[in-house]
Amino acid sequence: MRNIYIIFALFAIILLGNSNKLSAQSGQELVDICGMIAGDATYLKDFQIKLEAAKPGEEPPRAAYSVVLSKNTKYRFSICNSKDFSGEAILQIYDNNRLLGTTYLVATGKSYPSVDLKCSQTGVYHIFTSFKEGKQGMAVVLLSFVERL
Amino acid sequence: MNKRLIYILLPLLIFAACRSDKQKDVDFSKEFEVPDSVIYDGELEISEQAMDDIVQNISSPVEIAALIKAVGVPFSKDYLATTDFVDDYNTSFEKAIGLGIFGADLGYQNMYNKTGGVIDYISAIRTLADGIRVGQFFDFTTLKRLATNNQNLDSLMYISVQNFNQMDRYLRENNRSNLSSLIVAGVWIESIYLLGEVIKEAPNAELSEKIGEQKIILSNLMLLLKNYERDPSIKELIDDLSEIQEIYKDVTITYEKGEPEAIEQDGMLIIIQNDKQYIEISNETLFKIIDKTVEVRNKIIQL
Repeated sequence: MRNIYIIFALFAIILLGNSNKLSAQSGQELVDICGMIAGDATYLKDFQIKLEAAKPGEEPPRAAYSVVLSKNTKYRFSICNSKDFSGEAILQIYDNNRLLGTTYLVATGKSYPSVDLKCSQTGVYHIFTSFKEGKQGMAVVLLSFVERL
Repeated sequence: MNKRLIYILLPLLIFAACRSDKQKDVDFSKEFEVPDSVIYDGELEISEQAMDDIVQNISSPVEIAALIKAVGVPFSKDYLATTDFVDDYNTSFEKAIGLGIFGADLGYQNMYNKTGGVIDYISAIRTLADGIRVGQFFDFTTLKRLATNNQNLDSLMYISVQNFNQMDRYLRENNRSNLSSLIVAGVWIESIYLLGEVIKEAPNAELSEKIGEQKIILSNLMLLLKNYERDPSIKELIDDLSEIQEIYKDVTITYEKGEPEAIEQDGMLIIIQNDKQYIEISNETLFKIIDKTVEVRNKIIQL
């Protein structure tokens, strides 16, 4: 009888473990979803981000990437958040030394799932991603080419 | 007896369940044996993290091909690198840089929806990718089907670019950034070659400026490659590219700062940078760069 309980418990653990894994979104699935959000724009790069929750009293962790962008080009940055985490990603785009824009406007409290950049200078740009309120999160940022300007 | 059997079988069952579960997140580094020759174990001048900061989107076949198409220049298969000698690409260096070159050519063909010769290129890419043990990221079957049926051409572009990104990520995450950097270099060289060939046939100010602005891109690429200059093949490539960089000293780039603005249009957020960048390049310098790039590129593809 004891053995039956053990077998039952172990099967339950295996099944629960598997069901969690099956429902978890992979980075690749997020990239594909994000590709749809980007619409007609042509996919260039994806950045898969997973960050832990901020520790009390500390700044929210953020992921940083640098990309080369070309002048006279319109780019689209699209964000897709994993449904497995509560964090909502915020994207900030910097040139060499200043913030050009963000997907979250603090003044209005409004978030945008994507942002277009009309780039007028060829060079290196920096993309910072963090999660609202320092929550734990997973997201994909997709960089796409929209058009020549 | 039964009890003993249960104790033996249950751990096996758990182990089997865990293994099958991991199929989705396969760690290819453990599945494939990578020869030592393709792992860069030399000292790095800059950290992998810093390199991540430099490397992204240094050269994009999509953007260059889109520009060539946008200025109204018709497609020409004469510009493409021949795949005839792909079996002669013996070293990891040759395979990685060849991958970049054929990747740029694939992007150029995809941009024009020219699927006729695409299969030769995806076959060459598969051969080279297999050669440096990243073939598992190149979805040859799907790409071949899309190209053969001449349908869903957006997917052809999407999957091929994504496959290259997956190879790039895998190489960088597995201490093989040297090969990733060579792929980037190959894409860059072939993209400039394509631009140069188009300019020779149909001179265009926008394309000339595009060659000029590569001064910025090349300096980033050199920074990346110099990290591996202890490798004699990469050192030779650096020397070749240094000659191009030397010519670029005659290209002047000036800037005028503007205030960025954000507007909302049809619910979409748009950032307008408002900076200005002026690129001055003489015809003489332009053709010196083009000619030198042809020389470097043809040496790589063994012409």
